[in-house]
Amino acid sequence: MSLTSINLWETVKKQYFFKLKANIDAFSSLIGIQLLALLFSFGGVGSVGMGGGNFSINIKYYSADLVIGFTLLWAFVTAITITTKPYRNHDFTFVTNRLSSSLSNILFLLTASIVGSITAILAGNLLKILAHILLDGQIYSINTGIQELVMGVCVTIFYVFFVTSIGYFIGTLVQISKLFIILIPVLFFGTLFLDASMQKEPFLVNVFTFYTMESALSLFIIKVIVTVAVFFTAAISILNRMEVRR
Amino acid sequence: MRVIECTDLTKTYLRKIVLDKLSFSIEENKITGLIGRNGVGKTTLLKIIAGFIKETSGQVKVFSERPYNNLNVSLNSIFVDDQMSFPPAIPLSEILTVAGNFYPNWDRELAKRLFDYFSFDPKSYHNRLSKGKTSTFNMIIGLASRCPLTIFDEPTTGMDAAVRKDFYRALLKDYIAYPRTIILSSHHLDEIEDLLEDVLLIKDGKKQFQMSISELKEWAIGLKGTTEEVLNLTDGKEILFKEYFGVNTIYAVVKNDFSEFLLNKARLVGVEISSVQPSDLCVYLTSETKGGIDDVFNKH
Amino acid sequence: MQIADWIESEILNGHFENDGKVYSQYQLAEMYTINPATAAKGLNLLVDENILYKKRGLGMFVSGDAKEIIINKRKNQTLKRLVRELVLEANRLQISEIELIEMIKMANNQEAEQ
Repeated sequence: MSLTSINLWETVKKQYFFKLKANIDAFSSLIGIQLLALLFSFGGVGSVGMGGGNFSINIKYYSADLVIGFTLLWAFVTAITITTKPYRNHDFTFVTNRLSSSLSNILFLLTASIVGSITAILAGNLLKILAHILLDGQIYSINTGIQELVMGVCVTIFYVFFVTSIGYFIGTLVQISKLFIILIPVLFFGTLFLDASMQKEPFLVNVFTFYTMESALSLFIIKVIVTVAVFFTAAISILNRMEVRR
Repeated sequence: MRVIECTDLTKTYLRKIVLDKLSFSIEENKITGLIGRNGVGKTTLLKIIAGFIKETSGQVKVFSERPYNNLNVSLNSIFVDDQMSFPPAIPLSEILTVAGNFYPNWDRELAKRLFDYFSFDPKSYHNRLSKGKTSTFNMIIGLASRCPLTIFDEPTTGMDAAVRKDFYRALLKDYIAYPRTIILSSHHLDEIEDLLEDVLLIKDGKKQFQMSISELKEWAIGLKGTTEEVLNLTDGKEILFKEYFGVNTIYAVVKNDFSEFLLNKARLVGVEISSVQPSDLCVYLTSETKGGIDDVFNKH
Repeated sequence: MQIADWIESEILNGHFENDGKVYSQYQLAEMYTINPATAAKGLNLLVDENILYKKRGLGMFVSGDAKEIIINKRKNQTLKRLVRELVLEANRLQISEIELIEMIKMANNQEAEQ
């Protein structure tokens, strides 16, 4: 029987479409989690109340931030999940090598980020509409144009994809040794407590503000892309040495 | 052409040596049986060939390339065992479609026919199948993919006798129609010996021998007769197996390098000469126990 | 070699004519669920004994004197072995040579009557 050959990108493409099918459950859980967030948001994310002699004012804030927060959590968990053994074994049932397996995973996570972000932003608008319909009282809302909407989606995509890259990297570390399941939270909270006890600006907060407080969009994008690339490259090079189906 | 070539192939896990300087090669379009006791490294060897795991030292070449992380080896080979895993979200009939997307020689028609013959439910899922059904389904993937190198590692686990028979026949028919290199690992040589052209016997991670099944059938003989006559004949030879019957009768298996003259002489003094089943011979050759099971009970 | 034995019997039974084509290694492999290489070895064994002959590209055919060769072979090998075993068993049972010959004659007569 004659041999056939295939290049990397063809394989990545096939693996990618395979993964969309295989991980369809991830998208249904996304919808569930966003609906849940929407439900929580409906109670308002914050409120201010004041009163005088014969009047009282109660201001409630509604926002879809919680939906985005839940989406980030979902993205993180999804990224970790696809680094686990059963998922890697599925790839190796069919044609792949480790690089194509990782590249198709990254493409899948990018797709998940895009879908998650769009639905999260749309959920925010849904919240606005629902508030208008269901709540009595005066509703004030900042009207956003289509441009802001697109911008909002884009920035959210960067955040979500950023989180998946962290998840993928952490998931990969756990594949080397289960010790990381303990080590990573210990490091995470350890530095927080240590910095707090030493009364200095916590390191992780600095890291956080480095990304989130960036006012120039282009700089933000560059920072995220570079970090994402570093995490994924590190994960790929670790996974490249990993044996499967032992 | 040599499809697989191993030289001094060694695999260790921590300090345990699983494969110990294994050297052999497998020719194109032959069905080779990989035979050995449980836990002698058969699966490890096959997983190295499939590129799943890395050799510790030595050299392994599949289609003249190192299999680990090799896309072309992955494309042209398939590894079938009962641990094969499929995404739980994809129904069985769709798994066949997915497999067809990946494997260039995939025969949709064959896959479908086998799928229907073994009455699989298209809407069912792989993780809901029983042990035997899992093996049957995996076997369908293995056959229909028509990979130039097809590896079956204990493919009949959990299958009942009728399905096993069907599998052997399906394998042979498809092999005749589309010759390819097939490795069948099993510890039941008696069931698969008719299918095989070559046998590779492994013991403790080492190669015991590799020969054609017809050579193997004539490699040893069994001698049965009075103890003194048989021991006289086998003097200076390694007795691979012996068993006592009654008071003064012994059955001994030795390598067959007797001349026809000597065998005739033995017959005349009443020694029964018989051929030894390849499966029995492999059991004798890979025996890891000292003496026989009877000795365990005789110690008292 | 079961395949060779089987083809020999088929020739003796007259299922294959002189100069008739016998099954190919692949047909035999399918019929018996055996490896085609094993089937080929069985056929080649018969070629070596001049029971079959090869026509390049056409297959294997039954030689003109195939039956004779098979009968001779079976006489020389199988029958001689059986007789040897018979004699050994007779010795074990302390049956004299004359007695043994008588028994053979009797069996022969019985066969003829049937």
